[in-house]
Amino acid sequence: MQIFETLVVKISRGLDFLAGLILAATALLVVTNILGRTLINHSILGTYEMVGFLTAAVVGLAMARCAVEKGHITVTFILERFSPIVQRVVEIIVGIPAFFFFLFASYHLFLYGRLMAISGEVAPTTQLIFYPFVYLVAIGFVVLALTVLLQVIKLIIGGER
Amino acid sequence: MDPTTAGLIGIAVFFLLIAMEMPIAYAMGLVGFVGFSILNDPAAAFAVVSKDLFSTFSNYSLSVIPMFIWMGFLAFYAGIGTRLYNFAYKMVGHLPGGLAIATQATCALFGAVCGSNTATAATIGAIALPEMRRYEYNSSLSTASVAAGGALGVLIPPSVIFIVYGISAEQSIGKLFLAGIVPGFLLMFLYMLAIYIVTSRNPKLGPAGPRATWSERFKALGGGLFEIIVIFAISLGGLFAGWFTPTEAGAVGVAGVVLVTLVQKKLNMDIIRKSLSDTTRTTAMIMLLVASAVIFGRFIAISRIPFAMAEWAASLQLPAFVVIAIILLIYLVLGCFIDALALILLTIPIFLPVAVSVLGYDPIWFGVIIVMVVAMGVITPPVGMNVYIVKGVADNVPLETIFKGIWPFLFAIIACLALLIAFPQLATFLPSLLN
Repeated sequence: MQIFETLVVKISRGLDFLAGLILAATALLVVTNILGRTLINHSILGTYEMVGFLTAAVVGLAMARCAVEKGHITVTFILERFSPIVQRVVEIIVGIPAFFFFLFASYHLFLYGRLMAISGEVAPTTQLIFYPFVYLVAIGFVVLALTVLLQVIKLIIGGER
Repeated sequence: MDPTTAGLIGIAVFFLLIAMEMPIAYAMGLVGFVGFSILNDPAAAFAVVSKDLFSTFSNYSLSVIPMFIWMGFLAFYAGIGTRLYNFAYKMVGHLPGGLAIATQATCALFGAVCGSNTATAATIGAIALPEMRRYEYNSSLSTASVAAGGALGVLIPPSVIFIVYGISAEQSIGKLFLAGIVPGFLLMFLYMLAIYIVTSRNPKLGPAGPRATWSERFKALGGGLFEIIVIFAISLGGLFAGWFTPTEAGAVGVAGVVLVTLVQKKLNMDIIRKSLSDTTRTTAMIMLLVASAVIFGRFIAISRIPFAMAEWAASLQLPAFVVIAIILLIYLVLGCFIDALALILLTIPIFLPVAVSVLGYDPIWFGVIIVMVVAMGVITPPVGMNVYIVKGVADNVPLETIFKGIWPFLFAIIACLALLIAFPQLATFLPSLLN
């Protein structure tokens, strides 16, 4: 259990660090494009497309760490009124469907990416393949699902809420 | 099953799940997916979910969100809040309730740069509350003024809530930003007026501080504050002038804040790392919420609830303002329990067609009104997010004391709403100039 927890937390932090680097690169790309357009009348082809794909990567890679740190918005004041045992049972009950939902979502995102790879779908302006970004988002959902699973297991074996 | 019944059951299950502490984004996505599967087909539902998730995350229009958030966190960690408060304090600190009035101005300006209710309340609370304690301000007034002021940033651009509303309602983000300026500053002045009236009637609540000289006031603009205000003006000015897309305006803001703080020697690797880390976490939270709302919105659309609502509203034979008042009341009640961003994403597919197509209201005006109403939610019990944040900063002040001080600010919001309903031009005039 300890190994699983360490693994999930480390992976989520590693992915989030990567997301931060990608975000910084995205901002740099946008600013470079503006400077190019303004100063030398030359835009970087496909900036809009790339910014979209890079943002998808940022979000996909940062979701799990957000969940590890309980950053997703939750309404807490109702369940807080119940005993700790009731709270734990209820959280286990809602955690299980959430885990399966994210797991299935990631599986179908992999399928979606694979379909793009097979059909040779490319971005309209740059003609670049973009299924790797779909895979990145799918990986993000796998780690998110594992994070939810970790929280459920911790509740079942009596760890902290 | 009748689609509308399935839709209503889905909404009930959603509320049940969030009451059971399932994160709102998870609940929206899950209910949207299951509902779509029941009304359509599970295979189609999974295809739609995977496509919706990727297309939402990679939507260029949404890439504006991390840019403005990063700009805000950079400003936050570089200590812009302290310098803003110092400047506002030097300007109005000598008036009765002057420190609380200065808090409103600081919250408006910092909230505008930062774009986050909670970060504004936490930052300005940490700066302003010790000062107000030093000048023996009433704790109820001081804490409530920070909690209420923290919400000003949702109206003054760049506002993440306006960005999300604009994308959900398919409205121009630039126009929404412009529409929020007058109501945002109007609300700030009404807050200041409320403080002035309260402290004039009972000066012990907020004794006046020392008067600063004009040279001290100009000096307070130094330390990079003036440059930050200029960058902010260039970023938003470029957006309104049509030079930049919203994402580009955000990136220009980021580059500008980095440049100024670098020159001022206020930037280091730790600030960059912390600001990036906070930005990715906040962005992931918002974007998953938006993508889940898209999935939930698909389910709501095929359940035909928006059509049923529109037909019902048309059949009421009531004046439009009564129907809009009912809608606002629903927002007000829900806003006491659900986060503003989630509430807007959840309800736009349901109420926007009624307000715009049936009642004929301007979608930009409706957006401003809705954002203002949900902003009330952050200072009203039982959820009142900003009140909890301020409580975290002012440990020794009980929650009840903070909520007790909220009343003058609630009256100010209601007055502002009444003015906006009576004079919609307050919100629509500036965006009309873009036409």
